[in-house]
Amino acid sequence: MRRVVLAVTSTVAVLVLLLGFKSQSAPPVTKPSASSSGSTGTSGSTDTGSTSTGSGSTGSSSSGSTSSGSSSGSTTGTKTVTGDSADTRYGPVQVKITAVNGKITSVDAIDYPQNDPRDQEINSYAIPQLNQEALAAGTANIDIVSGATYTSDGYVQSLQSALDKLKS
Amino acid sequence: MESALAPAAPAAGRPIRPATTGPQSPSQLSPSQLAPTRQPLRAEPPVALGLIAAGAVATIGLWWVNTPYISGFGDWVTSAGRITGLLAGYAVVILVALMARLPPLENGLGADRLARWHSMGGRYTVCLIVAHGLLITWGYAFTAHTNVVHQGWTLLRSYPDVLAGSVAGLLFVGVGVSSMRAARRKLAYETWYYLHFYTYLAIALAFSHQFANGAEFMTNQAARIFWAALYIAVFGALIWYRIIGPLVKNSRHRLRVVSVVAESPTALSVLVTGDHLEELAAQPGQFFRWRFLTKGMWWASNPYSLSAPADPRMLRFTVKYLGDHSRALARLTPGTRVFAEGPYGTFTGQRRTQRRVLLIAAGVGITPLRALYESIWAWPGELALIYRESDEREVLFRRELEAIAASRHAKLDIIVGSRARLGGDPLSAQSLARIPGLADNDVYVCGPDAMETTVMSALRSLGVPRRQIHTESFTF
Repeated sequence: MRRVVLAVTSTVAVLVLLLGFKSQSAPPVTKPSASSSGSTGTSGSTDTGSTSTGSGSTGSSSSGSTSSGSSSGSTTGTKTVTGDSADTRYGPVQVKITAVNGKITSVDAIDYPQNDPRDQEINSYAIPQLNQEALAAGTANIDIVSGATYTSDGYVQSLQSALDKLKS
Repeated sequence: MESALAPAAPAAGRPIRPATTGPQSPSQLSPSQLAPTRQPLRAEPPVALGLIAAGAVATIGLWWVNTPYISGFGDWVTSAGRITGLLAGYAVVILVALMARLPPLENGLGADRLARWHSMGGRYTVCLIVAHGLLITWGYAFTAHTNVVHQGWTLLRSYPDVLAGSVAGLLFVGVGVSSMRAARRKLAYETWYYLHFYTYLAIALAFSHQFANGAEFMTNQAARIFWAALYIAVFGALIWYRIIGPLVKNSRHRLRVVSVVAESPTALSVLVTGDHLEELAAQPGQFFRWRFLTKGMWWASNPYSLSAPADPRMLRFTVKYLGDHSRALARLTPGTRVFAEGPYGTFTGQRRTQRRVLLIAAGVGITPLRALYESIWAWPGELALIYRESDEREVLFRRELEAIAASRHAKLDIIVGSRARLGGDPLSAQSLARIPGLADNDVYVCGPDAMETTVMSALRSLGVPRRQIHTESFTF
């Protein structure tokens, strides 16, 4: 009996130690690394500052800046930008944002891992949550979704690149 | 009833030093040279434990490397589920390896310790498997914001091979329950033994869900190769040492029953002969797993010790009626083909460290000691046997033992009677303290578990070093 107690407590202790260590070493919410374009990390002011430039940038988008991402400008000031695809362990994540007159009106993930049931299950709740967070924040400074760290990281990267393109 | 062929009764005037050479008869007196001349590869307990632990650390390492960090409670629970699952997948292989009759393990640990480790490890593994299933379901449910029942249903239905894995888990639990003490008492040895075969089915069923869903394997080809190699190696060894090897051996030796001899109202000896028996190199104190190829018996294999030193023409083992199988032995007819696996066991003269030898037997524990008493190397007067039996009618080999004592000038003390009649336990520390120079003996102890435990602690309290006490448990 003593052996049983010993085995159980030591197993639980080792588990808690291992898990505790991994929790402590968790990095703060991943800041998107400035991917292709040289955007400054702090993009907190984009949504206010760039509203008026929306119409102006439609011209620039048609002048051929759509080299990597696809962006389609329209005369009404509605602009749709697709971020670079970000690779994660479980597959690529790609985010598309739509802005009307520079104000983001919708954020959508057009590509995310769906290879197996676990991916599908996780992303079925993670993606809507990320979309909502991104729309509310208007920046890439959003919380990762618990249990979907890889998708969240990829999402934030792709979102940042989309935001960068929107500004340019 | 005495068979003329019986090799067991020592001929009068048998040399004090047995004629056999090899590990049993060191040529010099110095303890260093009492060591056997030919050392087979053996994994001593610390080495074996160290290897098993290293493997467990490596297994956890798979998770460690694969997991950058944990965020949130659901992730936490899921990670715990992953670690328990990985460890269970590893433990299952180790449990099979312990029972694969690998020579280094059989020689270094002994079959009784292997069985004990297997049984303790088995319980632990069943706990790991149950914990794995519950934690994964709970963790997934928490992150998905659904309830556990719904999540469990999703797992079974849409995750690849999880259904098979769950069936495997239930099989493991079932085998675990059948091995619990309360259940073992109600089950025949054979029933319990055959229930264990379901674990092979369970291991097969559980295998694919590890690669199909295991985060540690899905994206890591090297881990998959390593894991599969581990399983293949262990099952290869199992097939080699438990099936192919014994088949080859038995087709060469063609063992068969010569006669069955009643030794007491509740015990009998079976004499077995065959070809090239000397090649078996069976040492006194060792046992074989015997299987009798008759209707109703061929499917059961039971471990019984040799009760006489192996002879080039004859093997003898002695059995007390403990279950259906041992009772059925009485009906064996001469000529019955026998399939034997062995010899196994480390309860032999190889464990010697001292000049003087004391053998302590109780009940049917006399069988391996009867063989050692006749053959273990010792000077006249430096070998003694204490044989404890509660009932005079149950005393085995009285005439043989007396003949050996006379020819080898060895001490013999057969103590018969209940404790009440004897006025105390004749194997207590108090009684054993009367033996002069006890601490200079190698002491071989064989009997029921309770007796071995009390004698062991008595010997330790009387200053006999641990490495001079040799035991073998009958509990398989």
